[in-house]
Formats: sequence, C-alpha cells, structure tokens
Amino acid sequence: MKRAMILVAMAFLGLVVAQGRTVNLLWSGAVTGPTSDVGGPYGAGVEDYCRYANEQKLIPNFTLNCTVRDDQYQNPNTQRIFEEALDRAKPAIYLGYSTGAMLQLKPLINEVKMPTIPASAHIGLIDPPNNQYMFLPVSSYSEQVVALMEYINRTTKNARIALVINPSPFGRAVVDHARRAAQRLGQTIVDVREVGSGNLDNTALLRALDAAGAQFIIHQNVAGPVANILKDAQRLGLNRKIRQMGAVYTGGSDLIRLAGDAAEGFLWASSYYTLDENAPGINLQKQLAQKYNRSADILNSTNYTAGMLAAAIAVEAMKRAAQRFNGRIDNETVYQALIGMNGPNAFKPGFAVSTKAGIEIDFTRSEQTGAEGLRVLEARGGKFVPVTEPFTSTLFRQVRNP
Amino acid sequence: MRNPWAQTGNYRTSYVQDTTIFANYREIVSVVLLLVALCVLPMFLERSQVLVLNFILIYAIAVLGLNITTGYAGLISVGQAAFMGVGAYTVALSAPSLPFWLTIPLGGFTAAIIGLIVGIPSLRVKHLYLALATLAFQEIFVWVVGRSPALAQGAAIPVEMRNFLGLEIGFRNHNYFWYYVILFVLVLMVIAWRNLLRGKYGRALIAVRDNDRAADAMGMDPGRTKLMAFALGAFYGGVAGGLLAYMQRAVVVEEFTLSRSVALLAMAIVGGLGTVVGSLLGPAFIEFLRLYVERLSEWMKSNAFIQSITPAGVDVASALLPLSFGLVIVLFLIFEPRGLYNWWRLLRSYFRTWPFRY
Repeated sequence: MKRAMILVAMAFLGLVVAQGRTVNLLWSGAVTGPTSDVGGPYGAGVEDYCRYANEQKLIPNFTLNCTVRDDQYQNPNTQRIFEEALDRAKPAIYLGYSTGAMLQLKPLINEVKMPTIPASAHIGLIDPPNNQYMFLPVSSYSEQVVALMEYINRTTKNARIALVINPSPFGRAVVDHARRAAQRLGQTIVDVREVGSGNLDNTALLRALDAAGAQFIIHQNVAGPVANILKDAQRLGLNRKIRQMGAVYTGGSDLIRLAGDAAEGFLWASSYYTLDENAPGINLQKQLAQKYNRSADILNSTNYTAGMLAAAIAVEAMKRAAQRFNGRIDNETVYQALIGMNGPNAFKPGFAVSTKAGIEIDFTRSEQTGAEGLRVLEARGGKFVPVTEPFTSTLFRQVRNP
Repeated sequence: MRNPWAQTGNYRTSYVQDTTIFANYREIVSVVLLLVALCVLPMFLERSQVLVLNFILIYAIAVLGLNITTGYAGLISVGQAAFMGVGAYTVALSAPSLPFWLTIPLGGFTAAIIGLIVGIPSLRVKHLYLALATLAFQEIFVWVVGRSPALAQGAAIPVEMRNFLGLEIGFRNHNYFWYYVILFVLVLMVIAWRNLLRGKYGRALIAVRDNDRAADAMGMDPGRTKLMAFALGAFYGGVAGGLLAYMQRAVVVEEFTLSRSVALLAMAIVGGLGTVVGSLLGPAFIEFLRLYVERLSEWMKSNAFIQSITPAGVDVASALLPLSFGLVIVLFLIFEPRGLYNWWRLLRSYFRTWPFRY
C-alpha cells in the first residue's frame, strides 16, 4: 500500500513537472530601424504563431516561450541578443533575420549547435563551412533568380538580361549563380548594377540598360528601390520594352503599395501562397491576424506569412523532438527532428507551395532548404496572381556546385 | 623631502616633472585600482554582458585614434570605421597563417599606411573639405570591399582562433578571453597615446591644429604632422578592427560603414575630444544609451496604447534610436561641448588640494 502510494505520488509529481515544462524559442530581427517594413510583419508572424501554438497546445505538455527581440538591424545587437538568450533562456531553436548578421553568427551557431531558421535566404548560409545547423525555410535567393531565368527562357531564347541588385551581400549573393545559369541557357547578362534605397531618379540607370539592349531586368532587392525603378520605367515608357521581375523580397503587397499601377506586369518568384488563395496556412494567417488585431498592412504582408512559416517549422520540430526523444526538447533533439523532416515525415503547414511530389517543407542533413517549390507570379490589377505551376529549378542545382 | 604618499597637491618645479603621466601617487593608486576592478569585473558578469564590455573597449581604442586625428590635430575624420575595416580585413586574411598577436598589429600597420594615403588631402584642404575627403575614403572602402571576391564581396570571412598556448577557446570562454586581450591592448594603447601626446609631437599637433602657419614659422612641419596624425589615428582604428574581427568570429562589411564612423565621432564628442577619459566614457555612454533605447523601442512597439496614439505609417519606435543619438550630440554640443570628460574633471576638482596643477 505504502509503495503504491509512493508510486502514485511520483507519477502525479511527474505529471505536474511535465505540465509545467517550458521550451524556448528565440527570434531576433529588425522590428525597428532599417528593413523594419520586413522585420515588423515577420516578427508579428512569429509572435502570433507562438500564441496560437500555446493556445492549441501544439507541443503537448510544454509551454512555448517565444522571445521576440528587436536587433534594429545591427549585427552587434544580434550577437548580443543571441548570446544573452544562450546564457538565460537556452532556446531550443533560433529564428534569425538579416543576411549580414546570420553570416557573421554562422561560426558561433555551429559551435553551440543551435538549429537556426533565418529570414535571409542567402545561399552562403547553407554553404560550407559552419553550415550544419542552418535551415532556409524557402528556396534561396539564388534559386529564385535562376528560376526566373528559366522562366524567361520558356518564352524568349537568348535573352539579354540585366541584374539590379542591392549593394550588400544580400544583393550580391545571386550574381555568380545567375552568370553560370545564363551561360547554360544561352542568355547574356548585359549589366549588373547595384541600387540601394534613396534611388529617387533612375533615368540614367534605365537608359543605360536600354542602351545595353536589356530585354529583362531581374531584381534582387527590397521592395522600395524596385518600386522607384518601376515608376521611372513607366515614366520613360520603358515598361513595355523591358520586362522586370524579382526575387522574394522585391514583390508582394509592399511593392503594389509603393509602385501603384507601375507594378503591373512585374514578375515575382515566391514560394508562398498569396492571401487570395485557399490554403490552410493562409486561412490560419487570416484567422490569427483577426484574432490578434493585426493591421491590414501586416495581414497583407508576405513577410507575415514568412514569419508564421518559420515559427510553424520550429514548433513542429519541437513537437517531433518531444515525441521522438521522450519529452526531451533541446537544440540537439530539435536538430534531429529537423533533419528527419522528409519523405513521409515532410511537413505541410500550407503556407508555401508544394513540389510536384507533393512536398511542402522537407529537410535532410545535406539538403537544408525547406520549401523547394516556387512559382512565378505576376502583378495584375493590384495583386499578384500565379502564372506558373509550382516548380523546382533543376538548373540551380547544376550551377550551385558546377 | 616630502613624503610622496602624504603629498597634498602638486609641487612641481621643473618642466620634466610637469610632463609626467601621473600628478601624484594617489593618481597611480587610483589607476591601479581601476585596472584591478576592470580585471575582476567579468567575474560578476554574464557572457553577453562581457560582450557589451568588449564592444565598449574596442570602440574606446578606435575613439582614442580618432582623438589623435580629430581631437588633437583638429582634422575632422569620418572614415574611422573604414580604418577599422582595413584592420579587420587584414586580420581576416592573415589569421589562417599568423598568430593573433601578430595579425592585430599587422592590421594596425596596414591601416596606418592607408591612413597616410588618406591623409594626403589634408596637406591641401581643411575643415569641411577634409571631412568630405575622409567621407569619400569611407565610401570607397565599402565600394572596394563589395567588389572584391578576395574579401567575399562584403559577406562574412570567418576569423577563428580555437587555441592559445594550450588554452581551448570556445563559446564558454571566448568573450572572457577576448575581454582580457582587449583590455591589455587598450592599456598599451592608452600608455602609448599619453606618451606620444605629452611630448614634442603632441605639442606639434596642438600647434598645427590651432594655427598651422604659425607652427610652420616656428619650425614644425605641418604637413608631416598632419600625415602622422592620420597614420596614428588609423593605426588605432586598425587595431580596434582587428580585435573586433576576432571577437565577432567573422568580418562583414556592414560593421564598417559610414554610420559606424559617425557613431565613433559621436562617441568622441560626447566623451570629450582629445582626452583619454573621454575616449572611454564616450563609447560607454553611447553603448548604454543604445541598450536602453533598444528596450524602450521594444516596449513602445509592443505597447497597445502607444501604437493607438501613433499616426498610421509613423514608426516612432524605429525613429527613437537615431533621434536620441542626434539629440544627445546636439545637447552635448550646446550645453557641454567639452563632453563627459568635463564632468569627470569637475568631479575630480572637488577632491583636489592646493597647490593645483595648471
């Protein structure tokens, strides 16, 4: 009798401990400061998905403690916030943000074995060295640009393309891959121009690209500079002569808002569903935005979807880690759960399009890109509509490691 | 002879005595106590707090350099971050084959050579025009790095040091190890700074700053003095950049942009131009201000009431940091142009005893 009572008491105590367990997730990004138009909605997406995960008890017996910090787009702040979290909260997973800070933190992330899902899709993050714990939620910028080049090749052979990129590692990431892809597709890269924010008059740029015979401009940038170029192209009448397109951070509702009708016809490579589509993730996004009183700007932002997807992958990995390792959720078990997220165990939250094989998010030890499917969308009537089926760039895999 | 420990003031009777680093034994004791306190400080701090200290000390070295160029020689430089960058990239490229105690001075010397070249316009132009020349160098640096495949086009170059004399350096002790290295370098740099500037060269700098024609007439060489000021300032910047590279484990160009140069200039102004104490207080003040404003921005962003009273499309939380920086600089320039150093000087004067040193 006494022994049975002790056993019951221990079981009860175990249950109480299990109920009260907390697991930590850290996100740091530019909620304020430069690029906060991206970071704000992204952080809101992470925050809202975390609240939802706790309400729905997506990780049984665990309370998810999401720390959302503002690094103000300053690398030293990102480093401090990350180390502070390692000292205090000991997160099981880290959701990062900017290209520069993530590239800088790579050696530390690798040393502390912290699974990391950055908002940046710079290919250098998952390239060696120190790349083991980095996981891109969607295809890299380089893959998006190469996919756009493949799309161009479907209709225009031997196209003449200009690249307009952000003057930073974020922008330059795509140039080498684009050059190699152009060589294989028989295309010509006529010029590579770096354009940052503050590009209030792009006449010289557009005239020069026109003189160089550019038929297409591919942007790797944020929406602001692209919107200014689109408006100037419309003013100069070059919008009909030169077709413009860009990778994931160039497009979306931000571009439509900033460029107005000049955005019409802009082609956008994105892995995410749009707000007009009926997908489980998008429906959840609408539901959560309403529930947590998010503004229309945040709801309409692809970056809100992106934040939710990153958080959803993290939460799913934590849940699987708990199931697979007897309730042990830490950086090591979450890493194992992430690299096991493939084949029949692939994850399908419904925020991003699936590949032809029906896989939305999958990772392996060596394949660290989540959503490998992407579509080309076109701005029509003030919103982006898909003009291709989801596809994966085969050429990118050839030019990545030639 | 008076007992030096019981000295009540300064009893200097010669020029040599007047140029000594310490006025009396109490000053020596207070510096030693400060150093001991700095040595034991990390024992009471978390790793991430030590990281903040490391940033402050590194910026202090860079600001010391800026105080030679701008504070002492009066040559306005907005390119100190680029000099830090030259040092950091030199370290990044040489670290695989050289030990850190060689790469860091090498970074300093490389920056000094670049500083000599950048200083050439100072032979012809002054004031705002010279500031523009240094601004041009700052922009050229970022441009060159962005277009150099050897420098990863501004993306990260890892700088790792795993072992020092058998001591394994990893995440657990990385910040602590580099804290002591940075502190040691800072002390060396401060001693060098004081020794350099209390003598003939320091006086030449002041003379050239105040009136270069008069200095020339008195037999000084204003051109060489200005070039040396640039080279020395850049050397300090290069050393600071090298330390930053090791401390952050990688070099990315974003750390060495114009905004960092402006921040360093703000640290020098807030601390007090041309002073050692100001070079330490300025970075500390600005970094702590950054920390507190960051918390305030986060709070404002998450506070429903603040958000509800803010006009749509106006991001007050984002504006808070640049606003507070600008405000602090303007307030200091208006109300305390001598910077925090002057508060320190006033505080010390309460405890000074007659006869005073002037």
